[in-house]
Amino acid sequence: MNNLLSHARRARGLLLPALLVAAWEVASHQGASQAYAFVPLSVIGQGLTELIRNGDLLISTLASLQRTCIGLLIGVIAGLLVGAAMALSAIAERLLAPLYHMLRQVPILGLIPLIALWFGSQEGAKLLIVSLAAFYPMTLNTFEGFTHIDRRYREVARVLEWNTWQVFTQVLLPGALRSIANGILHALAFAWVSSVGSELFLSTGSGLGNLMMNAEAGARMEIVVIGVVCIGLMGYAMNQLFSRLTRHLLRWRDI
Amino acid sequence: MNASLDQRWLASTSHSPGALQIRELSKHYLLDGQPMEVLKGIDLRVKPGEFVSIVGASGCGKSSLLRLIAGLESDYSGDMQLDGKAITTTSLERGIVFQDHRLFPWKTVAQNIAIALKRSPLTRQEKALRVAEHIRLVNLQGFENAYPHQLSGGMAQRAAIARALITQPKLLLLDEPFGALDALTRISMQRELQRIWVQHRSTMIMVTHDVEEALYLGDRVIVMDARPGRIKYEIDVDLPHPRERHAPRLQELKEILLTELAGSDADK
Ligand SMILES: Nc1ncnc2c1ncn2[C@@H]1O[C@H](COP(=O)(O)OP(=O)(O)OP(=O)(O)O)[C@@H](O)[C@H]1O
Ligand SMILES: [Mg+2]
Repeated sequence: MNNLLSHARRARGLLLPALLVAAWEVASHQGASQAYAFVPLSVIGQGLTELIRNGDLLISTLASLQRTCIGLLIGVIAGLLVGAAMALSAIAERLLAPLYHMLRQVPILGLIPLIALWFGSQEGAKLLIVSLAAFYPMTLNTFEGFTHIDRRYREVARVLEWNTWQVFTQVLLPGALRSIANGILHALAFAWVSSVGSELFLSTGSGLGNLMMNAEAGARMEIVVIGVVCIGLMGYAMNQLFSRLTRHLLRWRDI
Repeated sequence: MNASLDQRWLASTSHSPGALQIRELSKHYLLDGQPMEVLKGIDLRVKPGEFVSIVGASGCGKSSLLRLIAGLESDYSGDMQLDGKAITTTSLERGIVFQDHRLFPWKTVAQNIAIALKRSPLTRQEKALRVAEHIRLVNLQGFENAYPHQLSGGMAQRAAIARALITQPKLLLLDEPFGALDALTRISMQRELQRIWVQHRSTMIMVTHDVEEALYLGDRVIVMDARPGRIKYEIDVDLPHPRERHAPRLQELKEILLTELAGSDADK
C-alpha cells in the first residue's frame, strides 16, 4: 500500500510530460502543415529506430558528452584556482576581479564570432567555449564559498596553532565544499548546453547539435525533435546523478 | 568508572598548571568610529591549579577578557603573563572552550578531538590513544563516529571540552560552556567538569551567568561590572572539592553574590 503510494508520488513528475506528448499527438493530426511542425509520434519512433540502428544517435551523444566532460574539467579546475585565489589573496582579487566580472557580462554567444576568428571552428574552439561556460559559475561559487567561511572556525584554527596549509585543508576547503559542489552543478549545466550550442554555431564535427542542424537542412523534423528530447534527458540525468553524488558525499551537512 | 585508567594515563604525562598574572588590562573597541571602553584596569592573579569563576551582567566584557587571555585580540593596553611569559598571541598553552561549541560540522567527534593534536609531535598511535582516553573522560564512548549535528547540545559541548583538554593546556578558559543546556544536563556537566578539573588540576577560568554554578565550581568568584568592564568584587569559596551542592556555606555566599550583582544592576 505504502509502496503503491510512493510509486504514485514518483509518477507525478511524469504527468505533465505525458500530457504534453498527448497534446502533441493530437496537434499532429490536424492537417498536413501541422504534421510537419508537430511530427506524429509514429514518425518520431521510426526516426529513433533508424538513428539507433545506424549508430548516429550514440556517436552524436558521445561526441557532445565528451566535449562537455573535457570542457567541464578544464573550466572547473580553472574556476577553482581563480575563485580561490580571488577569495584568499587581496592582490589576486584586485588583479583578476574586474576582468572576470567584465567578461562574465558578455554572453558566450557573443564571443563565438571572435573565438571562431581566432581559433577556427574545430574542436579546440568548441572546447574553449565549453570551458569558459563552466569557468564562470565555478569561479563565482568557489569565491563565495571561500569568502563566507565562518570566522568562528578560523578562530578555532588560531587557538590550535594551525599553519596556513592546515587551515586551508581543515577549515577553508571543507567549509567551501558545499559552494564548490553547487558551482560544479551549475558548471555542468552550462557546459552541456554550450557543448550542444557550440555545434549549432560552429558546424564542423559531430554531436547532437550537428545532428539537429543536418536534420533541419534535410527537412527531417522528427530527428530535430529527437535531438531536443535527447539533450533534455541527458542534461537532466547528469544533474540528478551529480546532485545525488554530492548529497551523499556531503552527508555531514544536516537537512 | 575508568578512574584507574585515567589516573595511569595522567601519571604518564607531565603537564603543569599555569599561573596567570594580569595587570592594568584595558581594551576598547571602535563603535561608529567612537572608542568604546570594554575593559578598564583589570588586575587579576590566578594561582596554578586554581579554578576562577567570573560572573557579571551581559555585555560587561567577560568574553572579551577571555578572548584577550586566549590571544585572539590584539590592540589592548596593559600586561598579561602566563608563568612569567608575556601573552602576545594564541598558544597551545592556553585552551579555550567557546560558548558555542564550534565543532567542525564536517568532522566526526573523534576527528574533531583529534585535530587539536595537529601540531603535536606524538605518533599516530599515541594520538589515537589519547583521543580515546579523552572521549572516555567526557563520557562520549560510542559516539566517536557521530557528526556534530547528530549530537545533543550537551554532548557537543563535552566534545568541545575534550578538544580543549587534549592539548593539556596550562590554562583552560571556558566561556559559558553550559549556557545553552537545560538545568538537569547542566548539573551533570558541572559535576563532570569538577571531576575533570580534580583529575587534571589545570588552571581554569570559567565565565558563567549562573551564580550557583560559579560557587559550586570556583575556588574564587569574581564579579564584573559594566561600562567600562572592571572587577568589582571578589569572593573566596573556602570549601574543599568535590563539593556538596547544597552546602549551607554556598547558600550564604550565593546571597552575598546576588546582592553584589543586583547592586551593579541598580547602578545603571
Ligand atoms: N568585535 C567587537 N566590536 C565592537 N564591539 C564589541 C566587539 N565584541 C564585543 N563588543 C562589545 O564589547 C562589550 C562586551 O562584550 P562581551 O562579549 O565581552 O560581553 P560579555 O560580558 O561576554 O556579555 P555576555 O554575558 O552577554 O556574553 C559589548 O558591549 C559588545 O558590544
Ligand atoms: Mg560573553
